[in-house]
Amino acid sequence: MVTQDDNKFNKNIILIIAAVIIFIFLPNFISGYYIRIFTAIFMYATISQCINLMSGYMGYLPFGHVMFFGIGAYMSAILMKLGLPVFIAIPMACLSAIIVSIILGFPVLRLRGHYFAIATIGMNGAIMTVVQNATEITGGARGTTFPIIMASPDVVYRYFYLAMLSLMVITSLVMHVVVNSKFGYGIRSIKANEDAANSMGINTTFTKVTTWAIAALFTSIAGGIYGYWMSFIAPDEVFDLMFITNSIIMMLIGGAGTILGPIFGAFIVETVSEVAWSGFMQYHLAALGIATIVIVFFVPRGVIGTITDKIRNRRIELSKKAEVTNG
Amino acid sequence: MADNDIILDVRSISKHFGALKAVDKVSFQARKGEIVGLIGPNGAGKTTITNLVTGELRKTEGEVYFKGINVSRMQPFQIARIGLTRTYQVVKPLQGMTVEENILVGSLFGRSDRQNDLNHAKKTAHEIMELVGLDKKKEFKVSDVTLPDLKRMEFARVLAMDPEVIFLDEVMAGLNPSEVEESMELVKNIRTEKQLTIVYIEHIMKAVMGISDRIIVLHHGQKICEGSPTEVCDNPAVIEAYLGKKYAKEVIKS
Repeated sequence: MVTQDDNKFNKNIILIIAAVIIFIFLPNFISGYYIRIFTAIFMYATISQCINLMSGYMGYLPFGHVMFFGIGAYMSAILMKLGLPVFIAIPMACLSAIIVSIILGFPVLRLRGHYFAIATIGMNGAIMTVVQNATEITGGARGTTFPIIMASPDVVYRYFYLAMLSLMVITSLVMHVVVNSKFGYGIRSIKANEDAANSMGINTTFTKVTTWAIAALFTSIAGGIYGYWMSFIAPDEVFDLMFITNSIIMMLIGGAGTILGPIFGAFIVETVSEVAWSGFMQYHLAALGIATIVIVFFVPRGVIGTITDKIRNRRIELSKKAEVTNG
Repeated sequence: MADNDIILDVRSISKHFGALKAVDKVSFQARKGEIVGLIGPNGAGKTTITNLVTGELRKTEGEVYFKGINVSRMQPFQIARIGLTRTYQVVKPLQGMTVEENILVGSLFGRSDRQNDLNHAKKTAHEIMELVGLDKKKEFKVSDVTLPDLKRMEFARVLAMDPEVIFLDEVMAGLNPSEVEESMELVKNIRTEKQLTIVYIEHIMKAVMGISDRIIVLHHGQKICEGSPTEVCDNPAVIEAYLGKKYAKEVIKS
């Protein structure tokens, strides 16, 4: 039994490494348009992964989570305008996002369910308003620019493609380690039953705030890279709740509470929405909305979740059969 | 009856919800390795006392000492980590997880003064599952197992935390007579094996009388009687408030 599991585990690792290698060399064979689409997919997968940690694993839906995306983008822009290189600006931006998440986390994470979701939307609005009005620092509602990269567009596209790809891979690996650790069991217990978790010795407040800080970390890096990629950002763009709405849809379609779910979801939704966008522009949002409703009703565990459930049930049935034949 | 045997000392705790005195100046003690029965009619305050002692409700007044430590102002998870824990009357399984994972969470987070990395905790969880007879259902999701198994799982989860004092809040409610018998055996065996102190809340008189060393009777939030099972059955106030005359005679006979 154990060796069989080990074999399967090794096979999965080889598959994942192969997929990553293919994606690293993919830009050599496709045009700039598709490189851009893939970059967006990797970015959404990263954000969706963070939402998944908060919502799929811990049961707290952070609707206003895009505030960390915006903070990441704006802090990077401000620091890079001061002359700091990108490899210092983005880590410092994500440090500030972590600090904000911890300060906000202590009061807000006391709220449960919808109240938490609504409260985060409020905080996102508050931070956006501050950014819009602090004109001297942020450039106000008209937005701000990043330093321009002196290279041909082709090279720049590839640069951001690889940056987003590695961010997605690193985020997914970290999430995998987190949810399978002791701390991860704490996170999942909070979703399952917060009171029982507390009475079983789990420091729920600490766990919730730390989890939110982890989610803020990767979201803010995605924000920083996105800003540099676009080279121009405006408050109503990087604090736009649509980023989170999309990420939530991706998580639901791929499978909430699985690591591969958000990645698959990002691929499915972005591809479908790209086709819908070019085909019937005015209905594309309606199509997404209907797809979400259908998924929630008929495939509530998402693509990956449904598949893993099937595999697990088959294993239980097999073990039952084995028991019957043995006994 | 040496004083240093007392592991749990509840000193005059009260809980008022507005004008209602749910628990009114209740004091009791539990010695190491003892099973204390806590009985009383519905609404007498049994579950409220459990919530007060384990820190889930804030006390209006009074103090709780556990192993000589004042735990009155502590959070539930801090109290659990030093070895005082409880099961729930209405089971609170961790939904979406398997039976094994539920018990694993208990052994992972239970006691902080003990080695509890993932591998070690898994070993503990497996030992406990064998002890309570859940090892065949470990891969089942909690939504797929029966109520008696869920109650068993809650008990196993608490045991996996390696506590010193457990509040068992109606672990037998909803079980049929043969399951009650089984559950009683289980509690007795584990008490002797693990040197546990158990505060036992139950409505099934046969179980409470058969298992407890000492019984405390509550009525309207107040302690009306404390003593051995036979003493409690003889007490006129208890018969009046809870047992009824006919039943008291039956119990004394048996």
